Amino acid sequence: MEGFIIALFVCLVLALISKYLSIPAIPVYILGGIILGKAGLGIVHSDEVSHFFSEMGLLFLLFFMGLELKLERIIANSSKVLTAGLIGLTVDMGIGFTAALLLGFSPMEAFIVGAAFYITSTAIVITSLIENRKLMFKETETIIWVTVFEDIVLIIILAFLSVSDQNLLLFFAKIALGFAFMYGLSFYGKEFLVSILDRDDELPILFTFAAVLVTASVSLYLSIPETLMVIALGAALATTDPDAFEQHARPFKDVFLVIFFVFFGVTIDLSGGLNWSIIAIICALAILSKLISGILIGVVIHHSALSGLEIWANMISRGEFSIALAVLYGSPLIATTIAALVIVTSIIGSFTAKYSTWLRRSIVHYSRKKALLHRSN
Amino acid sequence: MSAMSLRSLNLPGVGTKYEFETDKGDTVAIFFTKTGTIQMYTLQKGCTTPSAAEMTPVEARRLGNILTGAIIEADQESVEIAFSALADLRVTIHSFLIPKTVRGRTIEDLQIRAKTGATVIAVCRHDRNIINPPPSFVFETGDAALVIGESDQIKKFEREIMVD
Repeated sequence: MEGFIIALFVCLVLALISKYLSIPAIPVYILGGIILGKAGLGIVHSDEVSHFFSEMGLLFLLFFMGLELKLERIIANSSKVLTAGLIGLTVDMGIGFTAALLLGFSPMEAFIVGAAFYITSTAIVITSLIENRKLMFKETETIIWVTVFEDIVLIIILAFLSVSDQNLLLFFAKIALGFAFMYGLSFYGKEFLVSILDRDDELPILFTFAAVLVTASVSLYLSIPETLMVIALGAALATTDPDAFEQHARPFKDVFLVIFFVFFGVTIDLSGGLNWSIIAIICALAILSKLISGILIGVVIHHSALSGLEIWANMISRGEFSIALAVLYGSPLIATTIAALVIVTSIIGSFTAKYSTWLRRSIVHYSRKKALLHRSN
Repeated sequence: MSAMSLRSLNLPGVGTKYEFETDKGDTVAIFFTKTGTIQMYTLQKGCTTPSAAEMTPVEARRLGNILTGAIIEADQESVEIAFSALADLRVTIHSFLIPKTVRGRTIEDLQIRAKTGATVIAVCRHDRNIINPPPSFVFETGDAALVIGESDQIKKFEREIMVD
């Protein structure tokens, strides 16, 4: 328990530092965890308490993602979402999976590494778009739709990875039943739900917390993936009053997710045969593959490679979803690889996002100068 | 109004975007972000990089007041406060620059309360504030008066007392 309190206090200091330096907080939390935990000073160990809070962090992250997932809006913009999204999926997932396979991971491990390699951090990307005042850029809308597409892919990956050796028909029947129940409740109980959310006592926040926890435990009881069901719960409740749910779930998400990141760092084990060159290659490829997919998306959607460069500069960071995959399905080796991937890409990504305008301007300047020289010769 | 088309769009995770193009071809975009701040972008016709300003909700409302013409001069502004606990009581506080016609006259003499129902609660003179000026208070040139009342009373005050 003391370790947990120390970790919380360190989080608070780290949060202050990251805000002060305006760098994304996620890599800082993981680094803090690594320093405090197994691989570092060994002061903090994960125990039942930290495990419970970390799990809450994951559940609320996914619940939040579900709340943002407004299906009718995705369908209305499906052509935009699909074109850009599919380019990203084939290029990034393809490169990530192939590289991991070639570097000696088993096909199943390579799939998880590839997925973590592919999925950008929605949290970091959106915060940096707002902070760097890029919301009006034409590329911004494309970037946002790509992150939405990635969320959908993540759901499919989670479903795929959680199919265990149970009867498939029964498994999907149970999931379908769960979906139907949650959507039915949101549809027929909409007025009741809204009346609860409108109250100004503790009820709305208690209801939000309980809904997530009950969904998770019922899923465990029915042996269906709680991750999927919590996302579905978010998506179903988003049909009632998503803003109210976001407001009530945000404090839980914010606190538990920080614990989730720190204790992910704490459990990282750097002893044992780690091959740093493999990890370095994966990190370098992670940045390169987003450059390829970014430029392709820029050329196809905006008919401009420079737009592609802007998309790349803003989409380098991997974060919460990659870690979620590592925690849920990764071996210690995969967890270390993904931790390095997240730390390297999110820190480099925050710089490219900040200086992309400068980068674009100097490229335009350079090519003009070259054209002029060419003409005068 | 004819050519202006306002486009509103909900960006998942970011917030709501409002965008329109002016007759002259400039673009203005406003984003209400989920973090609670408001970002305003303007893009001049023919330019590629917009310029941006980030505002708090209070600052954005102030800008809104300026744009709707509620604040005619920078020194004159108005806020309306609604007290929901007091049967939705709405009070307006408005600041006025004292015109020449009022110079040298007292609050009593002008019959402000009797004629308009509004009350002068403060006067700013040479960067110093006089709170609750007495009925015998004499206005001078350069004074700015802060007046409180219902919006009709404030309008009456503006029509009947602040005449040039």
